[in-house]
Amino acid sequence: MAAGQFNSSASLSQNLEENLRVLREALGSSSDVIVRDMKISSDSNVDAAVIYIDGLVDRALLNHDILRPLMFNLQLIKDNLSHNHKSLIDYIKSSVLTVGQITVVQDIDRVIARVLTGHTAILAEGATRALLIDAKGWETRRIEEPKNELSIRGSKESFTETLRTNTALLRRKIRDPRLTFESLQIGEQSKTDVSIAYVKGITPENLIEEINQRLQRIDTDIILDVSYLEQFIEDSPSSLFPTVGSSERPDVVAARILEGRAAILVDGSPMALVVPFLFIEGFQNPDDYYARPFFAALVRWVRLLGYLLSIYLPGIFVSLKTFHPELFPTQLLVSVAAAREGLPLPVVLEALLMLLLFEILREAGLRMPRSLGQAVSIVGALVIGQAAVSAGLVGAPMVIVIATTAIASFLVIPFAEPGALYRFIMTLAGGLLGLFGIVLVSIEMLSHLASLRSLGVAYLSPVTPLNIRGLRDTFIRAPLWAMDSRPASLDSPNTRRQSSGQMPRPPKSSSQQGDTQ
Amino acid sequence: MKGKQGFVLILLIIIPVFISGCWDSIELNKLSIISGLGWDVDADTGQVTLTFQSIIPSETKGAAGSSGDGGQKRGNPLHTIQLDSSTGSSAYDALNRYSQHSSRRTFYQHTQLYILGRSAAEQGIYPFLDSIARNPINRPNVLMVVSEKKARDILSIQDGMESIQAMGMAAEIKLSAEYSQYPVVTYLEFAQRLLSETTAPLAPMVGIIEQAGPEGVRVKKTRINGTAVFKGDKMIGHLNEEESRGLLWAINKIKKGFVIIPGANLEIVTAKSKIIPELQDEKIKITIAIDEESNLLEYDGHREISSDLLQDLEKGQAREIERQVMAAVEKSQALNADVFGFGDTVHRKYKKEWPVLKARWEDIYPYIEVVVKVKTHVNEIGEINKALMRD
Repeated sequence: MAAGQFNSSASLSQNLEENLRVLREALGSSSDVIVRDMKISSDSNVDAAVIYIDGLVDRALLNHDILRPLMFNLQLIKDNLSHNHKSLIDYIKSSVLTVGQITVVQDIDRVIARVLTGHTAILAEGATRALLIDAKGWETRRIEEPKNELSIRGSKESFTETLRTNTALLRRKIRDPRLTFESLQIGEQSKTDVSIAYVKGITPENLIEEINQRLQRIDTDIILDVSYLEQFIEDSPSSLFPTVGSSERPDVVAARILEGRAAILVDGSPMALVVPFLFIEGFQNPDDYYARPFFAALVRWVRLLGYLLSIYLPGIFVSLKTFHPELFPTQLLVSVAAAREGLPLPVVLEALLMLLLFEILREAGLRMPRSLGQAVSIVGALVIGQAAVSAGLVGAPMVIVIATTAIASFLVIPFAEPGALYRFIMTLAGGLLGLFGIVLVSIEMLSHLASLRSLGVAYLSPVTPLNIRGLRDTFIRAPLWAMDSRPASLDSPNTRRQSSGQMPRPPKSSSQQGDTQ
Repeated sequence: MKGKQGFVLILLIIIPVFISGCWDSIELNKLSIISGLGWDVDADTGQVTLTFQSIIPSETKGAAGSSGDGGQKRGNPLHTIQLDSSTGSSAYDALNRYSQHSSRRTFYQHTQLYILGRSAAEQGIYPFLDSIARNPINRPNVLMVVSEKKARDILSIQDGMESIQAMGMAAEIKLSAEYSQYPVVTYLEFAQRLLSETTAPLAPMVGIIEQAGPEGVRVKKTRINGTAVFKGDKMIGHLNEEESRGLLWAINKIKKGFVIIPGANLEIVTAKSKIIPELQDEKIKITIAIDEESNLLEYDGHREISSDLLQDLEKGQAREIERQVMAAVEKSQALNADVFGFGDTVHRKYKKEWPVLKARWEDIYPYIEVVVKVKTHVNEIGEINKALMRD
């Protein structure tokens, strides 16, 4: 159905038959499009029709609060009203229907568009306006526990596929009138609802403008998930590192919004995009803020170290073994050399093979039907761990290195993908050029990271460019009462987060006060 | 066009990586890790014999499938190492001959010991030192040892608990230095002493003893039993245990250890020493000032611990230390080898006079007056302050 055809009959005509014909033509003869015609008013002489899509509306609501009042209560309409068709529509809206959200439209295109999103339309003979009633209702998933971003002490709710539920979840966290959801529809065919969530006065306005611009540039047929948007709006599409963040936790998104970021919600996606996204965010976890700061700092370091290990360990191990055996402590070299005796493959190939095996196992474990999952772990653990070593194909130290790497790679989930890619690159560089190659790739990686920007914010801030106050939430996590301002790098117009000096102290005793007075 | 240029650029970057890469890569299982290197020279022919002690990784624990078959080889304690010698006219000639019949490349970066046979050391080890220093693969922190007999004899004796003989012996030497018995001398320290105008290089000396082992078998063991003294690159004599101790006192190398005096044994806590030269009327006088603190470990007498007794202990200690240092001084003057580095301290203090002194150092050194001043202090007397038995 081309858009041009709607334009030819842009506004509703007085003739109900004509309107219905246009609608039928536009919506087609699908079995889920219901056109319920009826006669209303006391003498049953006014034709009307209710149009909706079965499955997208709440049937109980439709029957009780739309059809029933229309067909019963209109019997009470006085004659003088029944002949004034202009006010008939108004009368139905103001006095008959007992539902919340009703809009009056004149445009037949909007009727079609709204019916497709689940609205119920009421058209009446002689009226050039139609009523659109929001009586949406369909089967949805309940709010469930987060599956991917787990937290020990934090809230146990995550976003669902319904946009309204998601906005409600955010609204329940931030009960500020300035919390705004800007809506737009993207997708030529899918007409997916997209919401930009931000708090006026805290999220910088130019950020909202920029997001709006980037979203409006998108011209595609369907948006199935936020990640579709991510790929259309990210700053560096050719970078291995993501420059747009995402979360399935309303508490995380709410906290990020109040730091001066904006969130993008998409109907049908249980994730929210959060921009700008900084590198350090990948190492922050909701539990850092729910735990006390000392342990949180330890965990931050563990994550940083784990991530470095997951990228570098196989590469460094391979390069030490092939180019710099002198760098091993002697005793370690003897053990490593002992394990290396009689192995058929060069170290690089051995490492790459094991990395590949791990990726295969990981992917299989992810995609395999749950009932078969057990088989993967048994076969995988046996093949990789035990059999490969005792068959003399792979050395035991290599298995330890790859296993450590594999586990460490799950410490920092947002960067698991670039981590896996760089792991391969490092291993190859270490096997071809030794530590020199690893240093080369590191220089490339670091300078690339330093050049990245996420919606105008330097990716590595607050570390570089250095912002001393911003460091309070990087390698350590300062106590909540010490983080008085919003991150400076996000450029929020309102940087004050809380009043300073809220460190809990014992109250000054009254006797002391008495003495001083 | 732009895409094509980019593609060519990427190829130009990637191809060199693959065609130039790996040229110096080594697989561990193609290496023969040398743990100890021995140097012997035939006194008559001047032929150099290099002895390589290399590690057999598959025989050490940790090798794939090694857990079960260790038993049958346990009878031979040296199953983790391989000894091989080759002889040639020079160091590299011997090395080349060795490489010709070796299945693996030699790898020296983890070498623990250089063992010099005594007769080789007495003939001069300059060719050896040169061949080591010239090649960057050799580490300067390898320990130097002089063997009483041939280097190969030492390398073939399993002693101690380490599975690799050279590593065990290196650990033994380091521990003996920790307990202030004999100096630990690395290649670098040896070379530094050699570079000095007057100071004599040193190296610990290792001998072989025989002990009664299990089932009546005589077991050979290695023992550090002295300090070899060099003059230039030639070994000219050695210090015995007591003289070695005296040397360590004087050159500030005492760390831990014990001072044994009649009736008591004290444990050194801290020790510092300084060599102070004085030039008076063309005569050099050296003062060795030693400052020592110790704890009482053992006291055989029956006197109650008192300040009098402590003073006696301190005096006794001072006498003992002085005796050891003087023993070392007398031996070194007899050998006419400046093991203490007196020359360097004089050089530092009297720069102007040095050129004259240096020329006559050979004549000056044996007659230098050395005074030892020892200050000792007993810190702790242990858990009991009375003798358990009265007399």
